[in-house]
Amino acid sequence: MNLLWLQGLTCSGNTQSFLCAENPSADEVLGMFEVLFCPFSSWEVDMEEVILKLLRRREELNVLILEGAVGGSDHRVCKRSFAEVVRELSRRADYVIALGNCAVFGNIPAKYDQEVKGLQYRFKQMGGVLGRDFRSRSGLPVINLSGCPAHPSWLSYVLLQILSQRKIELDELGRPKELYAYLTHHGCIRNEYFEWKVEAEELGKKEGCLFYYFGCKGPMTHSSCNRILWNGLSSKTRVGMPCVGCTEYDFPREGMLETRHLMGIPDELPLGVSKRGYILISGIAKTFAPERLKKRLMDEDSKETAQQD
Amino acid sequence: MKIQRKLLNRIEGEVELKLLWDSGRIKDAFVCAPNYRGFEKLLVGRPYLDAVVITPRICGICGHAHLMASVEAIEDAYRKAGFKVELSDKAQRIRKLTLTCEFLQNHLRWFYLYLMPDIIKLEPNLRELYEPLKGSVWTEALKASNLPVKVIALFGGQWPHTSYAVPGGVVCDPTGWELVQAEFLLRKLKEFFEERLLGMTFENYLSLKGEEYLEKLGGDMRVFCEVAIDHGLHEAGASYDRFLSGGNFLPGVTSGVLSENGKKFSFEVSKVSENEDFSFFSKRKEAYTWSKAARYEGLPYETGPLARQLMSGNEIIKNLYGKYGSSVLVRVLARLDEGAKLLKEALVLLSGIKLNEPSWIKPPLETKNFSGKGVGVIEASRGTLIHEIEINQGKIKSYNVITPTVWNLGPRDGKYLGVVERAVVGMASELKAEIVVRSFDVCSVCTSH
Repeated sequence: MNLLWLQGLTCSGNTQSFLCAENPSADEVLGMFEVLFCPFSSWEVDMEEVILKLLRRREELNVLILEGAVGGSDHRVCKRSFAEVVRELSRRADYVIALGNCAVFGNIPAKYDQEVKGLQYRFKQMGGVLGRDFRSRSGLPVINLSGCPAHPSWLSYVLLQILSQRKIELDELGRPKELYAYLTHHGCIRNEYFEWKVEAEELGKKEGCLFYYFGCKGPMTHSSCNRILWNGLSSKTRVGMPCVGCTEYDFPREGMLETRHLMGIPDELPLGVSKRGYILISGIAKTFAPERLKKRLMDEDSKETAQQD
Repeated sequence: MKIQRKLLNRIEGEVELKLLWDSGRIKDAFVCAPNYRGFEKLLVGRPYLDAVVITPRICGICGHAHLMASVEAIEDAYRKAGFKVELSDKAQRIRKLTLTCEFLQNHLRWFYLYLMPDIIKLEPNLRELYEPLKGSVWTEALKASNLPVKVIALFGGQWPHTSYAVPGGVVCDPTGWELVQAEFLLRKLKEFFEERLLGMTFENYLSLKGEEYLEKLGGDMRVFCEVAIDHGLHEAGASYDRFLSGGNFLPGVTSGVLSENGKKFSFEVSKVSENEDFSFFSKRKEAYTWSKAARYEGLPYETGPLARQLMSGNEIIKNLYGKYGSSVLVRVLARLDEGAKLLKEALVLLSGIKLNEPSWIKPPLETKNFSGKGVGVIEASRGTLIHEIEINQGKIKSYNVITPTVWNLGPRDGKYLGVVERAVVGMASELKAEIVVRSFDVCSVCTSH
């Protein structure tokens, strides 16, 4: 199978993220494909020549990966509009993968420029550059791997599924269900604090939930960040950084490190939780929260002794 | 006169090189960054803490440096407005450690993944080792470059794109487990340096003196040097011979400005300006790039590892510079030597982390109503990075970013060519001109933001 990896308006973060892949690593995954062009491994071929060849000869294209958003009329490649080139290549591809939030939803560059789009979406608006009804030759719409950046294993998963011709089920935003049915919340090591409404009032501590004061979007963000860990060992919420919801269409929202409240209730509640339900449950949880969750897991003295030993 | 358009797009984003050839030599060169994303404008009107989430997304390669510049700019604004911002030694060490690790990742990936593919074009017999995806050393180097980013993940949750540093410190609360893991990872990285890059033990490498340096060098550094000298890369690539380094944040890295006659001055951020005569912002018909041109006292300066090492009194690099000037050879060696020294410093930083200190000390102010102005100057792996923020009633009023590549890859102004443009004028080989451009660590995603 051949593969073409193009970059639109991007920070190269998805490329850099993929280079961090393990089990399998980036070279192992791409080693299973005939790479026509890829920004981090092509050294002999010229990208524009590869594209022109594909366009002219109507050669078969199996997998097209786009990283980055598609710009407006100024955004050009091969002396043509980038959007046009992407549309033509997508029509000819068996599978089209939008890698990262910019390629999926337009993300940061789309917030600045009205003309900028993702492949099949512009934020939550269906359509994007390819149109609502786009299907690649395999019959699938664009396979959306949202995230800023996308986790390297998410791309490896899709590529390996394609290679072994296994079915990829997608959610309503075109994202593989096996990766995005989860919430960041699932597997977060602060979950017990969330359940009992023990809120972190300060940053820099391993105790407490970051949802109520620090804007953590873990309970409403579709991602497997706490199931398939980053760099093989960690995640933002595990170290104490609030989830900023970078896999969703509305990233980056305003005020990401704060939680807005109305009469003590967070403006946005965990996915599927009603206001009434939240008030009722959180009141009870708070009342019965175990004492052990209200103090530090380790006191400062024990840390000091541990270090001296 | 022949006009040649060349797209350079190896990881670092797209940059277009337009070369004007006359009688077999490059007569004029234009470095064009074709795409713009509008970060500075997007930030206006947002709560100012959003900057630490959004600005790292300017660059997937050195996003962590953007995070540090952003958080420093906000802390500077607090201080200038009269608030006391305290940072524990622990928080400072962790910030420096993770930034250092981003350098280590960058220097390794830059050398093996971006530069060596050009070197195998010069010496095809090296292909077996350094060919992308397939070469034995290439794949090993890729894995080694993942070791320092794991250290960032231990403290920051992930790499790329975390925002774990916030005004007042860091959000993580590590235990001995993180320290043990980080130390193990850095030691593994040290092994890679010794076995592959340096070809000798760290101790031996660090004891090398200026005179014997090139002869005694081993490993992949030696391979590179031999090819570079055989193909004249020790004589190619000089620009203005004016250097600048802004940040004092990293261990062993000093800020300063070095003029073409060898005089050193202290770096003052107030002397930095941006010229947009040839960038699309000016709307002039001569414009050819989305990058502005950064100038210091109105003059173009080179920034990056060579500048930093000259400023920091690195004897080996000073000696090489004396002999070969600011050539590709010296620029590459400055970066790799910096990598080796930073790895040593990373272990020192790590061993000094005192877990019982606080990670975050809440700054004494109400963020909603805060107004002020601040600037954060940091060294990113490819040079001086400046973030300037103006905050009004808790919202960003203006935000300005000057990236390292705006210094090096920025356009000309009315008087002077851009630094990279000047470095390739007069060259006779297209491939070598590309290598010269790459020796500055091209990162066009940063250049236009």
